Amino acid sequence: MTEATAARATGARLAAPALSRARLTWLLVVPLLVFLTVFFVIPVGLLFATSLNPQTIGQVTVTSDLTLDNYLRFFSRSNYLLATGRSVALGAIVAAVTLVVAYPMAFVIAKTAHPGRNTALLILVLAAMQLDMVIRLYGMMVILGDEGLVNQMLRGIGLIGAESSVQLMYNFLGVVLGLVQFALPFMILTLVGVIRGIDPSLEEAARSLGASRRRAFFRVTLPMSLPGILSGSLLVFALSISSYIVPALMGGFRVGVLPIHIFQQVAEGARFQFGATIAVILFLLSAGAVAIYLRVGARASGGRA
Amino acid sequence: MSFVEFRGVTKTFGRAPAVEQLDVGIAQGEFFSLLGPSGCGKSTTLRMLAGFIAPSTGSIHVQGRDITHLPPEKRDIGIVFQNYAIFPHMNVFDNIAFGLVERGEDAATIRRKVGAALEQVGLSGYDERFERELSGGQKQRVALARVLVIEPHILLLDEPLSALDKKMREEMKFWIKSIQHSIGITTIYVTHDQSEALTMSDRIAVMDRGRVLQIGSPVEIYEQPRSRFIAEFIGESNLLPGRLARADGTTGAVEVAGAQVPARLAQPGLSTGAEVAFLIRPEQIRLEPWSADEAPMLTGKVADETYQGALRRYRIDAAGQHLTVEVPNRPELAQLPPGADVQLYWRPESGLALA
Repeated sequence: MTEATAARATGARLAAPALSRARLTWLLVVPLLVFLTVFFVIPVGLLFATSLNPQTIGQVTVTSDLTLDNYLRFFSRSNYLLATGRSVALGAIVAAVTLVVAYPMAFVIAKTAHPGRNTALLILVLAAMQLDMVIRLYGMMVILGDEGLVNQMLRGIGLIGAESSVQLMYNFLGVVLGLVQFALPFMILTLVGVIRGIDPSLEEAARSLGASRRRAFFRVTLPMSLPGILSGSLLVFALSISSYIVPALMGGFRVGVLPIHIFQQVAEGARFQFGATIAVILFLLSAGAVAIYLRVGARASGGRA
Repeated sequence: MSFVEFRGVTKTFGRAPAVEQLDVGIAQGEFFSLLGPSGCGKSTTLRMLAGFIAPSTGSIHVQGRDITHLPPEKRDIGIVFQNYAIFPHMNVFDNIAFGLVERGEDAATIRRKVGAALEQVGLSGYDERFERELSGGQKQRVALARVLVIEPHILLLDEPLSALDKKMREEMKFWIKSIQHSIGITTIYVTHDQSEALTMSDRIAVMDRGRVLQIGSPVEIYEQPRSRFIAEFIGESNLLPGRLARADGTTGAVEVAGAQVPARLAQPGLSTGAEVAFLIRPEQIRLEPWSADEAPMLTGKVADETYQGALRRYRIDAAGQHLTVEVPNRPELAQLPPGADVQLYWRPESGLALA
């Protein structure tokens, strides 16, 4: 055997397990691919197709008759544009409020070195996710309703009259509160990961160079957690604008965001084609946020490597 | 009074003591090394001085002032970390300017001082670079410039060379030492590398399991180690089991490998008949006599030989004991094949008896 053939034989022997490993990787991904194709790719594809069919009340099936009429209708009616604006504003406000509430908690969790205490804090955060959203929202109603705990307290201390109440839900505020509650764990977990990834010696370096604890936070820790702040906010934005149950229950259908409009078109008017159109627009908005989220995330991890 | 003083400092994490009853004084302008294996308490000691952790008991003084409870930003102590801790979101200029900004210096002063610092560390023109665009050695220069620009009282170096490759390490060793010498700043250097400590330090404190075992100049630490641990940790050593045959004051003789050899006594209290370890460094042993009337200390056989370029390392079997001998690689010195009979020579004062 010549040297070259020997080398080739060795190369083949080395390449063989690598090839089968690649094949194995593919096999492992297959269940998810099948599931996603059947229950996500095909439905979303049908949604797109439906949105391009002419509006026919009661018609569910997709036809080959294609038109942009539904989109023209959406963009020519001010109430749909307003609803889009309302959804975006809602997403932005929820992201901002969630960030302000989540950051201190995430900071504490990330800086808690004691493993037991750390786990306890994380369980506290995750406990909120253990209950179904509907049940959690009914819980919030007990607190925020006209006869709820908050209003009773305000009456009790005489801040408002015995007959009056402060409107805390069935309005924009209620939806924001519900969504913040829903989004907090996602934001906290994102931030904990990023803050924990900041090398503690950076803060120590800042301290010994003369920065107080507060100054070190604002000059080092906070700017270094910006990738987490951005990605967490975009994630919460995407979750918020696509939520239906929270605006439905906490807004009582009075806060007309896009998911509410979709529901009304489909469930109340049987206008599947126009409902699909709004759904596509909402999908693109939220996909846009996720796309930015992924790019920011990639840049953040690329910058660190 | 020393410039820096640890008085009875103990630090306990949970139940385990990391540093126990530390009493160390460091003189102004001194290059002082804390040397020991990982987990010996050297980094804890440094971090207590920097103010990142508080001692459990005891106090730390700088220029006579108790700084035990002073926060790090009020201590005026600069520290260079093992990983350099360059702020990745700032360029080199802003990194070096960090401490000056905290001190409220005006923009013109900051520009001038940062420029001078960059020049001092040989990185002029690197202002705009970010951490990810710097090599290991350059990061270290930036870390040092960032500290020196605020003109601290004390410079702390936490294993600053361990992340560099061997060639770079040698270069930086002399560079750091020369900068330290030219500024005259009191420097405390933490390392687990005995050769770094030996070449750079004025004095070394050897630590193990939270305690300081010996403090002395590099020569003292190497030539008069106080314990077997130090003898083994610093440099190469042959430690042979023996029995003290004679002891008078600071010298005596040890029975080792079937012979009686002269030895200095590491501890004054050693008495005749005591079990000791006999220390002889590999480079102290010769395989040829200097003069015709020089009597060999031990005799044995060559077990094997390793070629190391600048020297040849022999493993010698002497009455069941193994010794390592390092011989300079020179043509006039005999090369011995395995199995050859050899005689081992050294100066009487080279041997040391350790309790």
